[in-house]
Amino acid sequence: MTNQDMAKTCLGLYRKMQVIRQTEEELARCHQRGLIHGACHTYVGEEAIASAVCSHLRTEDVVFSTHRGHGHALAKGLPPKELMAELFGRQTGCSRGRGGSMHLFSPEVGMMGTSGIVGPCILQACGGGYSFKLMKTDNVAVAFFGDGAVNNGAFHEGLNMASIWKLPVLFVCENNQFATEVPFAYSAGNPSVGSRGIAYGMPGLTVDGNDALELHRVASEAVAKARAGGGPTLIECVTYRTRAHAEGMGDFTYRTREDVEEWKKRCPIQRLRTRAIEHGAVTAAEFDAVDHEIKGLVDEARKFAESSPWPEAASATQFAYSEEPVSSKVPVQNHKPTSGREITMTQATHEALSEEMAKNPGIFVMGEGIGQRGGNFKTTTGLFDLYGPARLCDTPICERGFVGLACGAGMTGTRPVIDFMFADFVLDSVGEIVNQIAKIQYMSSGRLKMPVLLRGCIGIGHSAATHHSGNYYAMYAQIPGLTVVVPSSPYDAKGLFKRALNSNDPVIFLEHREILSVKGPVPETEYEIEFGKAAIVRPGRDVTVVALARMVHLTLSVCDELEKEGISVELVDPRTVLPLDIETILQSVKKTGRLLVVDEGFAPCGFAVDVAAQVADRGFNDLDAPIKRINGAFTPTPYSPPLEQAVVPQAETISRAIRELMRE
Amino acid sequence: MPFSITIPRLGWSMEEGTFVRWLKKDGDVVRPGDAVFELEGEKAAQDIEAVDSGILSIPIDAPKPGSVVAVGAVIGFLVADGEAPPNAIKANSSASSSTAMSHAPSAAAIVETTPSRLAEREQAPAAAPSVRRLARERGVSLASLEGSGPSGRIMADDVRTTSTGKVTSMQTYSAKVASPRARRVANELGIDWRRLQGTGRDGRVRERDVRMAKPQSHSSSGSTVVPVSSRRRTIANRMISSREQTAPVTITTHIDATNLVGLRAQFKQAASGSLIPSYSDIIMKLVSLALRQHPLLAARSEGDQWVIPSMSDGLHIGLAVDTEGGLVVPVVRDVGSIGLFELAKQTVALIEKSRAGTLGVSEMQEGVFTITNLGSFGIDAFTPIINLPETAVLGLGRIRREPVVVDDKIVARDQLTLSLTFDHRIVDGAPAAKFLQTVSQAIENPSAWLLRSDG
Repeated sequence: MTNQDMAKTCLGLYRKMQVIRQTEEELARCHQRGLIHGACHTYVGEEAIASAVCSHLRTEDVVFSTHRGHGHALAKGLPPKELMAELFGRQTGCSRGRGGSMHLFSPEVGMMGTSGIVGPCILQACGGGYSFKLMKTDNVAVAFFGDGAVNNGAFHEGLNMASIWKLPVLFVCENNQFATEVPFAYSAGNPSVGSRGIAYGMPGLTVDGNDALELHRVASEAVAKARAGGGPTLIECVTYRTRAHAEGMGDFTYRTREDVEEWKKRCPIQRLRTRAIEHGAVTAAEFDAVDHEIKGLVDEARKFAESSPWPEAASATQFAYSEEPVSSKVPVQNHKPTSGREITMTQATHEALSEEMAKNPGIFVMGEGIGQRGGNFKTTTGLFDLYGPARLCDTPICERGFVGLACGAGMTGTRPVIDFMFADFVLDSVGEIVNQIAKIQYMSSGRLKMPVLLRGCIGIGHSAATHHSGNYYAMYAQIPGLTVVVPSSPYDAKGLFKRALNSNDPVIFLEHREILSVKGPVPETEYEIEFGKAAIVRPGRDVTVVALARMVHLTLSVCDELEKEGISVELVDPRTVLPLDIETILQSVKKTGRLLVVDEGFAPCGFAVDVAAQVADRGFNDLDAPIKRINGAFTPTPYSPPLEQAVVPQAETISRAIRELMRE
Repeated sequence: MPFSITIPRLGWSMEEGTFVRWLKKDGDVVRPGDAVFELEGEKAAQDIEAVDSGILSIPIDAPKPGSVVAVGAVIGFLVADGEAPPNAIKANSSASSSTAMSHAPSAAAIVETTPSRLAEREQAPAAAPSVRRLARERGVSLASLEGSGPSGRIMADDVRTTSTGKVTSMQTYSAKVASPRARRVANELGIDWRRLQGTGRDGRVRERDVRMAKPQSHSSSGSTVVPVSSRRRTIANRMISSREQTAPVTITTHIDATNLVGLRAQFKQAASGSLIPSYSDIIMKLVSLALRQHPLLAARSEGDQWVIPSMSDGLHIGLAVDTEGGLVVPVVRDVGSIGLFELAKQTVALIEKSRAGTLGVSEMQEGVFTITNLGSFGIDAFTPIINLPETAVLGLGRIRREPVVVDDKIVARDQLTLSLTFDHRIVDGAPAAKFLQTVSQAIENPSAWLLRSDG
């Protein structure tokens, strides 16, 4: 390196590190003064790592970070004033006051978020890498994480996926030796993180995390390798944080004052400064000038933050869902035709997927056995031959891993379709769905989209027993940010699936396994069905029955018999549990005065409860009888047929309940 | 301007802590990182380090060791060399610590409102919802009571004791329930639902009850309000239930009753003052014989099933009787196995009881078929309503001598119209018609049919 290059590199790194240091010291002051309302984890002592790695990144490269993420955000290019304003809870903050320290988003500069949860950033970086690979760019994705993350499943699943698909990802472990307050030496069977690379078939290095110049050199090679298609690298940076885990927390219950003082002497900023001056590359005066300039920048930032307006309270729920309209140009047809070509529900969703994959090269499918095999339920038959392994990607059995990857892919411009096979399998990845996929749009104040379609089978039947039969729609319907689709007919399934593939929001698409082969009319022309529009499956006069999926078919099977007895049933299928079309249900109850909800899922805090509560509230004066509910028995699903039959609502249960309701 | 020293938040949820002691003296020089004071948070006491430098100024109203301090409170100042130290917190804190305090107002607002809410509650006596309802039903004011429960809570017995003796119409008047929809419709139609008899579960007033009730008349219209008797209400409900729960079809036929009239004339002649079976009696007996050949018409719907009675016994047949209070249907037992004169005796007794209003409930139950006769009012054909849970009902018209063609000659014959209503859910048209055909044949040749029967 020439002296001139050395000077440029040193000043660049020094500047980045000082921006982080001075900003965080000001944040510490502001925290004491009560200007910061929530948690504040500083990066003091670790600045060399983010500064060195990010100096090789372009704006289009993406960074996924941790709860200790101020440094990553600033190094990636977030202006200090936006960081401070966010921690002050102001409208001008980088997440518009929706995130705070642990949810910093600035997609404009490739900062894809800090996170309150340890681990997901590793999987999301894999998703970023997958997008870049699919779109054939030479961008790279970087995951910064602490030593606390490397004994978490996300580390194992993420590194393995990045390795088998040769993803352009840097895994940067900031080993500051404590996971909050638990020593890494205690919690790691193999305390060398760098040596773990070999376990996943990728290079793994251990570097002095306080040596900015060495980090700069190592990161340069790893980034170049990733850009060139050479795959991922794991870099362990050994370092130390010299402030408490979070501002306001005590520090000396798990480490000593002496240790902290010792590490303060190894300050990466002073170290670079001393070395550059000794080397004769940079003068003390030049460094002082940088210090002075940054002090001004930080003062400005604080003043900006303090004088910024608070967000409007009325906007508190804004950005939970995308505000952009769906992208498709296909006509909306919410009402089912009465005749025409008949196909099964599986064929209907397959058709929807095929049509959309042909139009949108950003759509890819991930799951176990969905490649050449065509899917356990024939969800992708024939598509592998058309679109190849990158768009029909078989996965290891690591649901958390590939769902987390889908989140990162959705954030970086592609459209993943995750095929769980059975919805029960995905419970291992619920954290990725609930904490990440559902919340990213909100946390990023709508600047990131989350076009992820998560599909899988639900439903009791055929002795599938309890790990292949759960109904989980009520659980997901409690999560803001998600859309939950539970179709009952091929027509609905196709229209809603196409809608999902053009929506900016994450969609949980749950297909009842027992009705996959039920045929119904589906037009050959393309169409979509809007979310939150119920279908009146059968009009009637005396009693409203609200049902989903298989329960629609069961209810329908008793309607004729009841009609002969003089009981006219109006059957309403909401089709999407979230959003729920309560208006159509209320209209129906206004007509009939009676409501029965038939729900295969569990009763407590469930779908039927919600429908009943909303009707009791808004339709009270239309009710001529108490609202009744039928639910699946509150028990895991048994295997033996007579036991299984006993836990699912039967046709007779439904007709009896309707007759009883007429007598109320 | 001096830097304020504020109480920091230790941990996430701390709202106040205990000030332990100063670690520096007034006038000491403080540098960033120096421990300035000790604060006890939720978990433990901690040394609080300075983030700024200056000379420590401890004002006279600073917290004393052991006092509780709120997060964000100013407890002292760091002043520059030569800068005049503020001598009290109060005068100076507003300027320098206003932001630190700014997130507190919502809590302050709650504190302010709480006492007034408590005062409101103190005025209303404590009582469980069920007790409040009881008090409402009995017209007792809770405020007038002395509660005997814990903390003076009013108990159900307190309400009962107070209202003893005046639990009159008030209770029955307001203990009624109506569905929300019934209340709404009653309101729309100007009907007082409390006056209605409910047909829902436990007497709940439903929409249909309201719609069946007439609006209260206005005095200017001159019409009279007829209170609906409970028997009328029962009849109405049974008729509606039948309409709602069956698929009724009525078929009629015109038959020759000359032999029937002749037979009855013979009975009359032979009777010499004793009991003479009526046309209805004879036809009831003949119907029982026809039902043996068409048992489906005698089916009773019980729950989700249809039960066909044994043909040797259990053929109980109802006879519609008009009374002042309205229609009743007493049931003649075992019509298939008793003799015609025994049958006639029973019907006379049942009709007397019906008119006297002394008919027992059991005497109206277990019928499998009903006969109704409007002939005496000059009616020929009509559409009788099925008496649930039976399957069919036979309506008898008047017997009239009419000119008919017999062997190409016009002759005078006694004619009768039969109207059979049957439940098409249970019986199809053809078997019902065949049954009516059998009944017709039996009535046209009553002697032969009665002789054939064992009874």
